[in-house]
Amino acid sequence: MKWGMVIDLQKCTGCGECVAACKRENNVAIVEPKESAMGRTMLWMDMLTIYEGEYPRLRVRQIPRPCMHCDHPPCAKVCPVRATYINEEGIVAQIYPQCIGCRYCMAACPYTVKSFNWYKPEWSPGIRNTANPDVSVRPVGVVEKCTFCVHRRQKAKEQAKSEARELREDEYQPACAEGCPTGAIVFGDLENSRHRVNHLAHSPRATRLLEDLGTEPKVVYLKEGD
Amino acid sequence: MRRTIVILAALGYFGASLLLVAGFGYLWHRTDPAPEQPIAFPHTVHAGNLRMPCTFCHVFAELSRHAGAPPVQKCMDCHRAIATDREEIRKLTRHYEEKRPIEWKRVYAVPDFIYFSHKRHLRAGLECSTCHGDVAGMKRVRRVSNLVMGWCVSCHRARKAPLDCPTCHK
Repeated sequence: MKWGMVIDLQKCTGCGECVAACKRENNVAIVEPKESAMGRTMLWMDMLTIYEGEYPRLRVRQIPRPCMHCDHPPCAKVCPVRATYINEEGIVAQIYPQCIGCRYCMAACPYTVKSFNWYKPEWSPGIRNTANPDVSVRPVGVVEKCTFCVHRRQKAKEQAKSEARELREDEYQPACAEGCPTGAIVFGDLENSRHRVNHLAHSPRATRLLEDLGTEPKVVYLKEGD
Repeated sequence: MRRTIVILAALGYFGASLLLVAGFGYLWHRTDPAPEQPIAFPHTVHAGNLRMPCTFCHVFAELSRHAGAPPVQKCMDCHRAIATDREEIRKLTRHYEEKRPIEWKRVYAVPDFIYFSHKRHLRAGLECSTCHGDVAGMKRVRRVSNLVMGWCVSCHRARKAPLDCPTCHK
């Protein structure tokens, strides 16, 4: 079993629903503009904007960027306390109580998916009440990142185990895949031939970010046609 | 002379750190393992003498992550008629009549970054008493296990339960 994600850039409209869904689902802290300008923005799912060409022929590419959950994660290699490691289902987990906040993993990650908690997260009273109880709020001084909504796997797995059956594909979907209005984000088991990601990942359009680094990301992008 | 000072300073430094850690450890475990409850509910009578199963009142233990405390209505099903003249039952009746829930003091709590499911543990064949001790023999419920990670993991190892971090950490 190897959980992975396919993002079809042809279908992606760059609307940012995945970014918003992720932020709300995972209680990701909202950072003030001043802090954000210092590069402390916290986003587990970011929308990379790439400008190509100049004004009259300007082309904007929008690329949603979650954690790549690499098969050879550079972050896990440098973590001195095994707070981040890859588990047997291919999810690169981040265990907050174990993290000492050294930020080696942030320096090691070529995709810059990790963010550091510089402050105690604060929400306005209205928003605080809508926080997701399934995800813990991270304390100050730890690194956090996309977990492929691992809390949803916990819940789905519990249900499947209670009914003594295997996990179904539609049972465990991260918030971004669930929220995507065009169905550009597909999530599932890359090794299971019945899952959609398995077929899509072998599409001729399939590509991975910074493939030459040898990190073997499990987030596959499908290139846009022209 | 200078050497002794350096050695003393180093020893003092490590000694102070040790004291600090011990102090924190002491404070950590000082939380009351048997808090006084708003109504002196005797598990000895209900679970002990009457041999009521735990899930008779803690209905959600087998069905969900939380075991849950029963609603006052559940108590009143019996106590409308039984032992109505006792002081504690009068307290209970007042709660019922004023529609005020009873604010039980929590005895067991896991931190908010832990995913724990009563259902899974019961389905795996554990008895309530494995973690909660002999509640039927406790006049006031007392915490018998410290719920630290090592305690969880030792049992998970022994019973070949999953040991992957995100099994419990969220």
